[in-house]
Amino acid sequence: MAPRKVRAVIGSKHCDDPKIDYKKIDYLEKFLTPQGQILSRRRSGFCTQCQRQLKQAIKRARHVGLLPFVA
Amino acid sequence: MYEAMVLLDNDVVREGYEAAKSTLVDTLQKYEATVHACRRWDERRLSYPIRRKNRATYFISYFEMPGDKIPSFRRELEFNENVLRYLLLAVDGLPEGEVDQAKAEEGADFSVPPPPEDDAIEMDEEAGETSDLDTDDDDMILDDKED
Repeated sequence: MAPRKVRAVIGSKHCDDPKIDYKKIDYLEKFLTPQGQILSRRRSGFCTQCQRQLKQAIKRARHVGLLPFVA
Repeated sequence: MYEAMVLLDNDVVREGYEAAKSTLVDTLQKYEATVHACRRWDERRLSYPIRRKNRATYFISYFEMPGDKIPSFRRELEFNENVLRYLLLAVDGLPEGEVDQAKAEEGADFSVPPPPEDDAIEMDEEAGETSDLDTDDDDMILDDKED
């Protein structure tokens, strides 16, 4: 049986980070794929609550044209 | 306390920064808002075109407003042709340093550089690409002739 591929988790303790904000584009961009999709919780390393905040922040940033819907 | 991020058309900002800013402040005051801070956040390229514009000036303001005035305020922003897009959020409080940054705008030595042309970067990119393609085509034609 082939060993299971383990994908790199981008960070792991983001809950200690400063408040997630839609204006911090450089920070939010780290959690997007090259196509502009939001990374899953498994890859972003966020807890449930923080992942929801991340999702909300990214969607707000997309609304005001700071981040792309599709890159 | 509310936070409003408003994208203004660069053409309006080019005509006069203070006039552009006052359109936003006047709209807020029209709906009985107490404006704590209103400042230019940034001028940047949009990630995707909005109303056929590729660049916009971002204004951010923090204010208090009676809740029943919010729908009218939203409608006013939507009808305003100079406002490309807006984001209105309820926030817990005024972020630190926001008032100082807003006051810095009111200083005599504050000046805003005129926004660049809407398609300035795109034109350069396109020109670069086309010139490269042209040279490739020439090479191809030469190759064909040699053959």
